Formats: sequence, C-alpha cells, structure tokens
Amino acid sequence: MQRLLLIGLNHTTAPLAVRERLALTAERQAAAIAAFRERFGQAEAVLLCTCNRVELYAARITHGQPKTEEMLSFLAEFQQVPLPDITAHVYQKTDRDVVEHLFTVASSLDSMVLGETQILGQVRTAYDTSAKLAAAGAMLNPLFQRAIAVGKQVMTSTSLAEGRLSVASVAVNHANQIFETFSDKTVLSIGAGKMATAVLQNFALLKPRELLICNRDPAKAADLATRFGGTAVPFEKLSDHLVAADIVISSTGATQPIITRKQFDSIRRKRRFRPIVLIDIAVPRDIESGVGELENVYLYNIDDLQQVVAGTLATRQDAITAARDIVVKSVEDFLVWHRTRKLGPLIDQLYKKSHDLAREELDRTLGKFPNVTPQEREHLEELARRIVNKLLHDPIKTLRDGGTAHTPAPQYLHAMQKLFQLPEMPDDDTPENES
Amino acid sequence: MPTTGQLVLLSLATLAFAAGGVASVARLWWNRDGLRIAAKALMYVGITLSVAVLIWHSGSRGSWIPLEDNFDAFIWLGLLLALFVQYVQRSKPLGGLEWFVMPIVIVLMIAAGVFGKAKPQEYVDRPWYFIHRVSSFGGLFAFFIAGVCGVMYLIKQRQLRSRNASIAPQLGSLERLEHITYSSVTLGFALLTIGLVTGLVRVLTKGSDTNLGAQWYTNPKVILAFAVWVVYAIVLHAPINPRLRGRKTAILSVCGLVLTLGTLVAVQYVPTGGAH
Repeated sequence: MQRLLLIGLNHTTAPLAVRERLALTAERQAAAIAAFRERFGQAEAVLLCTCNRVELYAARITHGQPKTEEMLSFLAEFQQVPLPDITAHVYQKTDRDVVEHLFTVASSLDSMVLGETQILGQVRTAYDTSAKLAAAGAMLNPLFQRAIAVGKQVMTSTSLAEGRLSVASVAVNHANQIFETFSDKTVLSIGAGKMATAVLQNFALLKPRELLICNRDPAKAADLATRFGGTAVPFEKLSDHLVAADIVISSTGATQPIITRKQFDSIRRKRRFRPIVLIDIAVPRDIESGVGELENVYLYNIDDLQQVVAGTLATRQDAITAARDIVVKSVEDFLVWHRTRKLGPLIDQLYKKSHDLAREELDRTLGKFPNVTPQEREHLEELARRIVNKLLHDPIKTLRDGGTAHTPAPQYLHAMQKLFQLPEMPDDDTPENES
Repeated sequence: MPTTGQLVLLSLATLAFAAGGVASVARLWWNRDGLRIAAKALMYVGITLSVAVLIWHSGSRGSWIPLEDNFDAFIWLGLLLALFVQYVQRSKPLGGLEWFVMPIVIVLMIAAGVFGKAKPQEYVDRPWYFIHRVSSFGGLFAFFIAGVCGVMYLIKQRQLRSRNASIAPQLGSLERLEHITYSSVTLGFALLTIGLVTGLVRVLTKGSDTNLGAQWYTNPKVILAFAVWVVYAIVLHAPINPRLRGRKTAILSVCGLVLTLGTLVAVQYVPTGGAH
C-alpha cells in the first residue's frame, strides 16, 4: 500500500525572502529529484518550484520512508538552508489532502493571481522532470496526469482566466503612475524569460525612445531585440545601461542579486537622481530590496505586482465557485478510481481463495459419501458457493464503500491483505481519463 | 465694504463650491455619472456666483480695477483657482485635483467675507502699487497651485512606496505633478520677485511714509515674504542640483505654501508701524 505526502511553502505561508532561498532552477530541480531518489530509493517524488511556491510531492509504501520530516530535512539540506529558518513556513499534507491540494494548485485556485495559466505549464514541467528520471511511478503518474487534466478543464470550462489583470499590465500601470510620457524614456530588459518577454511586450506598445535588451546570452538578446524593435546590449556593461534606463525589467536566473544597493547608489549619482522604475520579476530576486529604499527609485517585485492582480478577485467569484466545484468532483473521482483499481484484483483474490477453500472442504466431505448423485453434488456445490458469497458480501461491500473520511480505504485494503494473507497487488496501472 | 447682498451672494457661491467638492470626494466611494455631473455643475454655479459678486462689488464701489480691496482680492484668488481646476480637468484631467484645491477656494471665499468686511485695504494710489499687488497675488495663485501639487506628489509617492499604486485613488503621474509644481513655482517666483521689488521701490521712495513704517525690514509681512522668496529660489535650483528633485521639491513647495498663507495672515493682522 502507498501513501501520498507533501511538504511545501507558498506565497501565503512564506514571504518572498524565504521562498527565494528554496527556489531552484530547472537543472537544480532535476538534481534534487535524483538526490531524493538516491536517498529514498523506493519513494516516488515530484518537485514543483515556481515563483510562488516550492512543493515536494512523494509517494511511498505505508510505514516506509521518507516521513514528512525527512522530506523537509532533505529539502533544507539540498538548498543549504538552516531548517529552523523554514520550518514555520512549511505546510504538510497526506493522502486525500495531497490530491485536493495538487488539483487546486493546477487549477490556479491556489495562485496569487487566480486564473493565471502559467501554473499548469509549471506543474507539467515538474512532472515531466520526474517522469524522465523515473521518479514518478504508479502513484504520482496518475495523480499528476489527472491534475493537469483538471487544470485544463478549469481553464476551458470556467471564466476564471478571463477579466483578470496580467502581471505585465500591472507593471505598465505602475510605470504610468510615475512617468507621464514614454517617448523620452529608455526601457531596459535584463534576462529573457517568458514573464520578462510578456512585460517587455507591454512596454514596447508604449513606444519608448529606446528599448535595450541585455542578456548573458547575446543570441537571445538579439532575438528579443529583433522581435520588439530594440537594441541588444552587452551584459557586461549593465551599469552603463542602468545609467541610461528609466524603466528596468529584470528576470534572470541568477541565484544572487545582480543589482545591489551599494552598486546602485553610485549609479544614481551618474543618473543625476532621475526617477527610475525597477520591475524585478525574478525569483530569487535580481535586485536587492534595499535599492527600493533609495530616493526616486521605485522597485516592485513579483509579489507586489501579483497582489494588485489579486485585487480583481471579488469580480470573479462565480468563476471561482465553478472552478472549486470541478476540483471537488475531480478529487472524489480520482479517489474512487484509485480505490477501485486496487480493489478489483484484491476482491478477485479473496473470492478465489474462499471458493477454492470451500471446494477443497466439500470434496473432502463428499469423499466420505460415495453414493452422492451428480445432481446432489451440484446442489451441495451451489450451497458452498452461496455460503462463501454471503460471508464475503458484507466485508466486500465495506471495502467498496470505503475511503470516506472515517474509514480510509487503504487501511481496509491493508487489513484484508493481512487477515486473509493475500499477496501485495502490483502498482502498474494508470487512470482511463488521463490527458 | 461689501454690502449684505454681496455677502449673501458670496455665501451662496461658497456653498456651491463646498457642495461641488463634497460631490467630487463622494465619487471615491460611489463613482457614478450623476455625482460627476452634479460636482461639475455646482463648480460652475460657484464660479458664476463669484463672478456676479465681483461685478456687483466693482459696480457698487465705482471702480473696475481688480484687487483694490481684500474682498475683491480674495474672491479673485479663489475664482482663479476654481477656473484653473476646471481648465485642467477639461484639457488633461488630473485625478483628485479638486479635492485639494477646492478647500483652499472655500477658505479664500470665507476669508473674503471675514477680512473684506472687517478691514478694507487701501485703494490703489499709484501704478507701482497696483503692479505690486497684482504680481504678489499672481504669485500667491501660482504658489497655491505648487503647494497643492506638492501635497499630491507626496501622497502619490507614499502610495507608490506602499505598493498600493493601482488600487489607491489616481492622482496623476509623479512626473506631471512635478512638472506642474515646478512650472507654478517658476511663474510664482517671477511674480513674487516683481511684487517684492515694486514693494521695495515704494518703501525706499516713500521712506517711513508707508504702512510698514521706518523699520519696514522688521515687519513680519516683509520677513515672511522674503522667506517665501528664498524657499522658492531653492526649489528653482532643482535642475542644477538634482538631489532637490522630486520629494524635496514637493516638501519645499508645501513649506512655501505654509509661509505664503502666513504672509497673508500677517498682512491682515500684524499692526502697521507708520503712516500710510
């Protein structure tokens, strides 16, 4: 029997300063999964890491390893973060709660920006990473496949994704509140991530005087520059570009800030203290928070922007209710499916074993009565079969109806296997309606 | 001296401005077209009534030269501010401008009633003195605008720093507020300089034969006016010293506004030291 476990933290439990310490790049995510498998060989694992959350999903056999505490220790060790620094921000979930949480996450109902579609891609990427490393198996494969399907269903059959502000539009709105005109302004984009591209696209529509694209990879910078009619500039001369820029969009994969307060203080003098808007959408952050305390510097990070977007929540209450209904129903469907896929073979085994036993005993008894006619024998066999069926009826009914809040099906299954000494079922099937 | 009829009409104008201001502020909670139209209509009613008071007062005193007494001057100042608000909101709206300007307009209208009735000022006796009063009041008008935009700048900046930019009331961009502040200070500074120079010429040519007396340089009105001039001179240095940009310019503009109001009060209350 398997148990589902989850440990994680998100924007509601941990500030950005904590989240960014646990944030992992795509390469590090794969390395973390490999390390997890090395330590807990039999457990399945998926690591979901976005700018709003870091969550480690695991499936293991009952009474096996890891426990949630061990998962937390693993994550802290891997990221070299002292455990006490994160413990207070971490949530833990098991079994049904894990299913419900993952479906909620994939539907963007747990996102800071309700209805954002990026999370679905991030769930898929996290699952793909584990699948490639053979870290997602009989438990996490169907779970994540179903979660992605639920996320898609919410996006297509509800209006959750409609009528919301985007992070990019909020960034432009912030700049609009500081600057009146853009024809005399210079926009600098550092990094070339998806989010940065979306923000840059919105700023390009304002027709700034100059659009500078700065990236460690000159080819990527040139590509974006061509797309938005800007100029690719070398990353090595970032300080010079910051002197020229009025609006900066930063979204690099750097693990340390690329713009520090000390560095920016000297840049500010060269800029003659002109106002500047810094949009930092990277996690971990690219710009030290202290930079935002400087005079005439307006720094906004991903949380600041998303909080404004979240302000549109009240206008979409109907869509949220519809999305939640889908999630609740999908959780129930998944649990029923999960139960029955285990139950079928177990019930077959139980019937077979019981009927075999009854037949053995009947044969032994009939051996003592040589004059029994075939017709009588048929009646007695029918009697034995009916007794077995009647005896098994109630326990099997309980098994089929199990999985409620008070009688978790896995425990019954486990008990039945032990009581009747049935063999363990192989975990190799997948749900019928996966994406 | 204004007549009772003129004071009643002034009170009605003040009430119209106040009601218009309340309707405008109410739009923060109930942003309905009805309120917007009501606020605008009440503002225009206030403006029309103010103009009517000015015409009546000029007719009754037999002179069409503006700013000849307190009653006239305060109404002119309030009227110009109200017209400025309407002009800006028609040409390129600046959210929330009326919330900050209209209280000043109302105070000026009340001041016209109180000071205009209680203490009429000397009539213009010479062209230099007329220039002195027009430029000084013109400067006041510009400094009121600068001060109001300074306050708006500081509030706006606070909103942006507290990360509530998109949900807080829109007060225009910082860049525009700074631009209006700086333009107003430039205009006000030029007018105040003319006012101070013409006042100085009058004092120097007439000696102790002015209402400031021989020790004119110790008169609070003169000291405050000079302090206002110094404050705005510093503001005008912002392009040369960029450290003064933005928040510091806004704070100085607000300080200048406070000193300007102090000067106005000093003109009314501080006893004069000599013959007229």
